[in-house]
Amino acid sequence: MARLIRTEKEVEGRFEEVWLVVEEDPLSQWPAGPRDVVGRAATRKDALERVRGEARFTADIRLPGMLHAAVLRSPYAHARAARVDLAPALALPGVRAAIGPDDAPGLETEAGYVGAPVAAVAAETDAQARAGAAAIAVEWEQLEIVVDPEEAVERGLLHGEPERYERGDFDDAVAHADVVVEGTYTTSVVLHNALETHQSVCEWVGDRLDVYTSTQYVWGVREEVAKGLGIAPDKVRVVCEYMGGGFGAKNSAGEFTFAAAVLARATGRPVRCALTRREENVAAGNRNGTIQKLTAAARSDGTIVALGGEFINALGWDGWSASTEGPMKMLYACDNVRTVRSTAKINTPPMKAFRAPGFVEGTFGLECIVDELAKKLDLDPLEMRRKNDATSNDGTPYSSKNLAECYARAEKHWERRHEVRARSDARWKRGVGMASQVWYGGGGPPSYAWTRVGSDGRIVVVTAMQDIGTGTRTAMAQIAAEELGVPLDRVEVALGDTARGPYATLSAGSSTTPSVGPAVRAAAADAKRQIVEIAAQRYDLEERVLDIRDATIVSADGNLSVDLTEFLSMLGNAQILGKGARGPNPTGMSVLTFGVQVVEVAVDVETGEVRVERVAAIHDVGRIINPLGAESQVEGGIIQGIGHTLSEQRLLDPETGRVLTTTLDAYRVPTIADVPEIVCEFVDEPDAHLTNLGSKGLGEPPIVPIAAAIGNAIRDATGADVHGLPITREEMLRALKERRGAPAAV
Amino acid sequence: MELLRPSSLDELDGGVFVAGGTEVVPLLRDGILQTTSLVDLRAIVPRGVRDGRIGAGTTLAELESAQVPDALREACRLAASPQLRRMGTVGGNLLQSTRCWYWRLRYPCRLHGGDRCHAAEGEHREHAIFANDFCVSAHPSDVAAALLALDARLHTSRRNLPLAALYRLPDEADRRTTTLEPGEAILEIEVPPAEASVYLKAMDRRRWSFPQVGVAAARTGARTRIAFAGVAPIPWLLDGETVDAATPLPRTAWKVDVARALLRRALAELG
Amino acid sequence: MKLVVNGEEHVVEVPVETSLAEVLRDELGLTGTKVACNEGHCGACTVQVDGMPVLSCITLAHTVSGRVTTIEGLRDHPLVAAFVRADAVQCGFCTPGQVVSAAALVAASPEPTVDEIRHAMAGNICRCGTYPKIEEAILHWRD
Repeated sequence: MARLIRTEKEVEGRFEEVWLVVEEDPLSQWPAGPRDVVGRAATRKDALERVRGEARFTADIRLPGMLHAAVLRSPYAHARAARVDLAPALALPGVRAAIGPDDAPGLETEAGYVGAPVAAVAAETDAQARAGAAAIAVEWEQLEIVVDPEEAVERGLLHGEPERYERGDFDDAVAHADVVVEGTYTTSVVLHNALETHQSVCEWVGDRLDVYTSTQYVWGVREEVAKGLGIAPDKVRVVCEYMGGGFGAKNSAGEFTFAAAVLARATGRPVRCALTRREENVAAGNRNGTIQKLTAAARSDGTIVALGGEFINALGWDGWSASTEGPMKMLYACDNVRTVRSTAKINTPPMKAFRAPGFVEGTFGLECIVDELAKKLDLDPLEMRRKNDATSNDGTPYSSKNLAECYARAEKHWERRHEVRARSDARWKRGVGMASQVWYGGGGPPSYAWTRVGSDGRIVVVTAMQDIGTGTRTAMAQIAAEELGVPLDRVEVALGDTARGPYATLSAGSSTTPSVGPAVRAAAADAKRQIVEIAAQRYDLEERVLDIRDATIVSADGNLSVDLTEFLSMLGNAQILGKGARGPNPTGMSVLTFGVQVVEVAVDVETGEVRVERVAAIHDVGRIINPLGAESQVEGGIIQGIGHTLSEQRLLDPETGRVLTTTLDAYRVPTIADVPEIVCEFVDEPDAHLTNLGSKGLGEPPIVPIAAAIGNAIRDATGADVHGLPITREEMLRALKERRGAPAAV
Repeated sequence: MELLRPSSLDELDGGVFVAGGTEVVPLLRDGILQTTSLVDLRAIVPRGVRDGRIGAGTTLAELESAQVPDALREACRLAASPQLRRMGTVGGNLLQSTRCWYWRLRYPCRLHGGDRCHAAEGEHREHAIFANDFCVSAHPSDVAAALLALDARLHTSRRNLPLAALYRLPDEADRRTTTLEPGEAILEIEVPPAEASVYLKAMDRRRWSFPQVGVAAARTGARTRIAFAGVAPIPWLLDGETVDAATPLPRTAWKVDVARALLRRALAELG
Repeated sequence: MKLVVNGEEHVVEVPVETSLAEVLRDELGLTGTKVACNEGHCGACTVQVDGMPVLSCITLAHTVSGRVTTIEGLRDHPLVAAFVRADAVQCGFCTPGQVVSAAALVAASPEPTVDEIRHAMAGNICRCGTYPKIEEAILHWRD
């Protein structure tokens, strides 16, 4: 029965109170451990077409008569377009239409950063469109720019009021602590740089709009576009069958989609609007920088008694302020915590979610200062973490937590530190560091799936989710195959089209598998129930004695054994349709993911080069559906995190606020040559309280602790405290000099 | 734009020269280079290595495994990306432009004929530590540093000259960084034998990075020549001075430490 | 101009400015070759010319005289199955370029070492971080 509930919904660590219609989730979980299909390594359902270059990405959509659109962007970090004259653009060869501020959502008169969208042009070719955009005459009134976040905070240039949190009595606890450590940590802006840039192709068919777009959320785009254009959501169809990476930056429609839709309506032709790599790096979002002034206090036995942080999120002109203080509130059983987070509104490009926003930044500061505290107390960092492991989430019990097991499994990696250090020489100093991770990843309702069983015994899972490269398509197929008792190759998954399946949640916030997976299982169970019902009638047996195993309908006494395909062949063109919905999350419980990473580094103390040599990652995300795909997620998160930690930095011209590192030679993401040995382990214990699967998400957890673990390994190797990301040679050499100049550690 | 494919030197007459295209094509697209005729030099510029002479059309990938001094081979091996090394020629590599982001983004800086060095006043953490009073851009050629240390000579379509004479520091009167005349093409590079040579490079990735600091050293008899990449607006020969002569900017002091450490190692490796 | 792609000769008329990638994708419909940076920095557009991996986004089509091989010409290469087996694909946008580079590598060095793979594949950026699996796929490409 459908049930209406009022509940707190979490996406990317953001909560809101919503009304939700949920359906009961009557299926009991499978026992822990590998099953016939679930829990066993599977290669991707869509690997072949992706590897062979046959998968059609938005970038490959070519519709007949398609025009190309280009966006005019602000050359100033803060300015108002007093007058916008589109006529010079319209006069150019090939230009078919031009729109200005307020003609489409996202195009605005006030530009708050260099690259803010102002106007757009559609033309026969991309080059003509770009020439057209450049020809638009804009009379700019320049306004004052502020790009320094601390200056913005001082002057009260903020997004919203500062967020404050306190439990216990922080001041008193610090005053009575045996040891207090204070430090300022900074994290810099990093860019998503998914290889497929943000782009859409829009085509009107009568009063209906088809949107092909590179997105993490087809339904979100549908809703936004309908609202933005003032049309009914059912008039908008959003398609994204294959997509070239998002990492959080592609959760919304964007000006390129609106511009393409409006220009398509104006010209009566399909229009594509694709960002260039350089546009991508100025206007498509980023992980905001942070400044974290932290305090950690402990008793001499290692009990953390107080944690405090003054955080600045250097948000830029737009975006949302992620919970940088989250790890400080959640990771340790500390009675006295005080945090305040100010969100600077500066004239820099907008923040967008980037793989565990807030927690990546906050974990760097917290997990570094906890190690500094351990060092001051001469305590083993692993013991320090075990001793202070939180037992509830600020009073709310966990639906499941196996961080202690992660620590137990980390021991063998942590033990290597003596041998690793011993391999140091005059030039290369080696050391080992660790950091822990807490993050969300439970997903939630609503999400729906259908299953369609044909007379050929094949099953199609239909759900309008998207696979952004994480392998969720394969995980869904595994879940359906497991429930229906068929091999994986009998199952296909149709996704990525709002007109071809029911609602499914976004591919972000480590929420896809835990949100859609249970709905797929329910839909498969519904189809299986129907097959058993008709088999019972056909063979005159009771339903309760029938089952499907290995694509065979069998009876409990073993007398009946009928091939599923043979049985279903009588259906002809009739089909069996199953439907399923995601049930509610457990009430009164915190659904969280946990993990720990142990990192080995080598530091060239003369040139400041840092090499990550080995990473052991142990994560607790409930049941693992596909160990092979899960391993790929962990490796990918770690490698991206190594980039954030060592080589990636987005630089701005302080005078003009313009992004200087817009190209991939200047903004340096890791290559294959930068990859360390990565060892990956999962606790793989289903969360008994979470859905019919007990699975949590894994897209984000692996990127959360890596920076701090590297920083702590550097301290272990050299004694130097690195406090700023990225740890460039400049920062490393600074920290080494500081270390040499400082009195010997006590 | 037209594409010309001359088959002899006599046919060279203006236009922008292109061989591998890895530098020229992006600069044309950005409008930093402008021309109505593009001249494909590949039919007239020699390619390959013979008797200590390297055809300017030889690719970096070819030099990576050629019988050339160690410093040059290593500079090629550590340069750019595999695909760029397959495309890019050694002659073109010597003529590449700075990676200074202000210059690449077409700020009206001194190198573009303007009256300010935006990097000196702004973001310059990867910029020059030598000869940086007028323009703080850093020259990115690994290969040039190696060839400078090896005391290479160039044979162009018009003259022979030591490699060091190819480069000039930009100044108020003339913003160019090379002495190559319009219509003049590098044809061959003559590399005298060295008893030992080495190239060491600091990057922020293990591969596919322009040099933060590159140091080349070559020893012949009692004489050792040292040259740097990434430390000055042109490839920098350390000529009678030491690294202590560096004049770093506030955010490039770290490069002096790196240069000093790499130089010490290079000299130790030379023996 | 004439262009031999995957063994087939094509005649196309395009301006001098046109890149090989544009010709392949827009004129010949060979969209397996991806363009991700369009300035030679990421390797997604890698194709082979006479067996050598080059960046089609910064190669002017008119300057190409050799035989071009794209991912469409390598669809039955054993590397494809190796990539699938090893899970050496996440979003898949860089993957065709990875396969093209890897095919040139194993043609020159049929049993490449890890160091050779890392040296030869460093020009193909994968933002998803599929690298460990790519390395594995190339190490075991003939299995």
